[in-house]
Amino acid sequence: MKTIKHLASVAALGVAAVALAGCTGGAAAGSSAIGEPGATDISGTVTFWHAFGSDSSEVKTLDEILIPRFEEEFPDVDVKAVPVPYDELHQKLITAVAGDQLPDLVRADIIWVPQLADLGVLEPLSASMPDFDDIADAVFPGPLATNLWQGEYYGLPLGTNTRVTMYNDAVFAAAGVDVPATFEELAEIAPALKAAGAYAFADNGASGWNVLPWIWSAGGDIVNDDVTKASGYLNSAESVAGIQTLVDLYTDGHLPPIILGDAGGMSTSDGLAQGAYATIYDGPWMYPIFAGQYPDFVLNDAPVIAGDGGSISVVGGEDIVLTRSSENKAAAAEFLRFLLSEEAQLEMAKVGQMPVRTDLRDGLTAINPYYAQFVDQLANARPRPATPAWPQIDALIQDEIRAAIRGDKTVQEALDAAAEQADALLAQYN
Amino acid sequence: MTAPTGTPSAALVSANPRRRRSTAVAGDGRRGAFAGLAFVLPGFAVYALVMLYPAVQTFLLSLRDWKITPGAESPWVGLDNYVKAFGDPKFLDSLVNAVVYTAVTVPLQIAIGLFLAVLLDSKLPGRVAFRVLFYLPVVTSWVVVSLLFQFMFSSGDGPANFIAVDVLHLADENIGWFRERWTSFIAICALGVWKGIGWAMLIFLAALTAVPKELHEAAALDGAGVLNRFRFVSVPAIRGALSVVFILLLIGGFNVFISVLLMTGGAHDTQVPLTYMYDQAFKFLEFGYGSAVSFSLTAIVLAVAALQYWWTRRRMAD
Repeated sequence: MKTIKHLASVAALGVAAVALAGCTGGAAAGSSAIGEPGATDISGTVTFWHAFGSDSSEVKTLDEILIPRFEEEFPDVDVKAVPVPYDELHQKLITAVAGDQLPDLVRADIIWVPQLADLGVLEPLSASMPDFDDIADAVFPGPLATNLWQGEYYGLPLGTNTRVTMYNDAVFAAAGVDVPATFEELAEIAPALKAAGAYAFADNGASGWNVLPWIWSAGGDIVNDDVTKASGYLNSAESVAGIQTLVDLYTDGHLPPIILGDAGGMSTSDGLAQGAYATIYDGPWMYPIFAGQYPDFVLNDAPVIAGDGGSISVVGGEDIVLTRSSENKAAAAEFLRFLLSEEAQLEMAKVGQMPVRTDLRDGLTAINPYYAQFVDQLANARPRPATPAWPQIDALIQDEIRAAIRGDKTVQEALDAAAEQADALLAQYN
Repeated sequence: MTAPTGTPSAALVSANPRRRRSTAVAGDGRRGAFAGLAFVLPGFAVYALVMLYPAVQTFLLSLRDWKITPGAESPWVGLDNYVKAFGDPKFLDSLVNAVVYTAVTVPLQIAIGLFLAVLLDSKLPGRVAFRVLFYLPVVTSWVVVSLLFQFMFSSGDGPANFIAVDVLHLADENIGWFRERWTSFIAICALGVWKGIGWAMLIFLAALTAVPKELHEAAALDGAGVLNRFRFVSVPAIRGALSVVFILLLIGGFNVFISVLLMTGGAHDTQVPLTYMYDQAFKFLEFGYGSAVSFSLTAIVLAVAALQYWWTRRRMAD
């Protein structure tokens, strides 16, 4: 039975492969060019896949406020918004690529865009959207850069976020130390926090999202500007110093082993609220979560801890992309413009989605005071390298850094190995 | 079993056996072959559709740098993907992991499964209930029990740490099972054994039930003890079942997938060939390379199974 199940799963994968193999024929190029903004003669159905949780306040805002407003303005357009669980969306997109069944618009995680662009299924907006430059000029440069692949922009940022330091003031008060602003201060106060029963810092993984703020803040980098080479960047002395800070914290017992990833460890949010962790890095969505789970806990924030390179965090968020196969590009582009309008961006800001438009920066704290720290951090936050190879590079960075944390390798050895493997992956796209 | 013994009709026509028999066989054979084909064909058609065709397509995929976009060009790369696989330390590591998993779980499943089968073959009170209980893990979902075992092997005060630390005193403090390669595999192997025992037990039980009681009674009269009766009466009767169980468990061991995917996701060098294949194809979109990995695994499993089949045949012939 066991064996049969195994065989069945292999067969299923085989069938999937065949299903993919069976689909031949040209990728439909879709129809109807993107027109100038404000066209009134658009009509048809626009399908929009997103990964907002199906019962979330984001979906409510989208379905009950934004889409009705858009359809009121364009009565002949019908927007079909389809929520797909985040964990399934990538798989669903890939299957849709193979089956030529992509929707018109997708709200995609920023790290998927280069991969989809490389598959040739996205519309290069910088080439085909007449008002692309106007919109591009109005948004944060970090999030915008996540759409760039080989000279063209294949999407626009839709919502953004970044990680900042979140800390538990009570823990610092008990230990009698101040919140650290630099790597040195962190190392200095860590023993006092340990004496007070808390880990100085906690994170739940070693992938790019987790460790890049340490590398960049130390003055290091991941790849060169052309995204063709990791050697000399990912394994530079500065990058090594950034990761060494984490490894030293772990070795001295100031960083809990959840960074190695396992079941049963205390999560970063539980640990912070319960006083087991003094600081964590996390994003703006944590405010409502803490408010719900730990109503008595006062969450404080600060910039990510600075090294020789400054306090530099990592850009997260989502882009919106228009597919090449879309049959209704004119209407889809109009809905895309609407989602980037001041009105729509502010509505989404009320339910936790940080706007990407720089002109809305100052009004944001009126909506949610906690946006202030994120807006400041976003000013110089950087995106993960925009390359289709990023998922692979991300996985190997995590593996190698974990090896260094466990003590199987030195940080230099680990990052040398990671850079060498990353070079080979990047070379495919040169 | 040697050549088929003559049918009654063949025996009756012994006067001119050669001629009559050949026509009879030819006539029967043609009709028989036709009937046989009619029965085999639907099954074969399904097999061809869901196994053979995908397998051939996967092989063809593995010879290309496959692009999933419809209409995109997928350059022919010949055996490059295979060369890459056997020079890829991560794939070779995954093979080592699969060999270790198989070497640990298969003997344990067979030994414990056989032990339980012998126990439950005797007249125990409530043996049906026990049979059901031991078989229950086999029919539970891999996903559910993988998550369950992940929880049991939690790095906190889970059941596994309770046994390892508080009962057996193997370690001074809680073990972070999923933080390292081989401790991860303790959990993965424990799940594999626990889930597979029932199946092995069931096959052995079926074989043991077929052993006539008279043989045991006769052996007992001849003075054979429990162990000797097991060795000289039961074991010869279940040798065929043993061989089948061994081959199928071996194939299953190399194809371990869901438990590893869910429990470690391949972290800390715990990739097995199928999780590695899955990552390459479905995460990184290297469908050509993923197909080569999966085909290499198939070839290795086939070779091992063939070797083992040949070895058991030889031993049974002795």
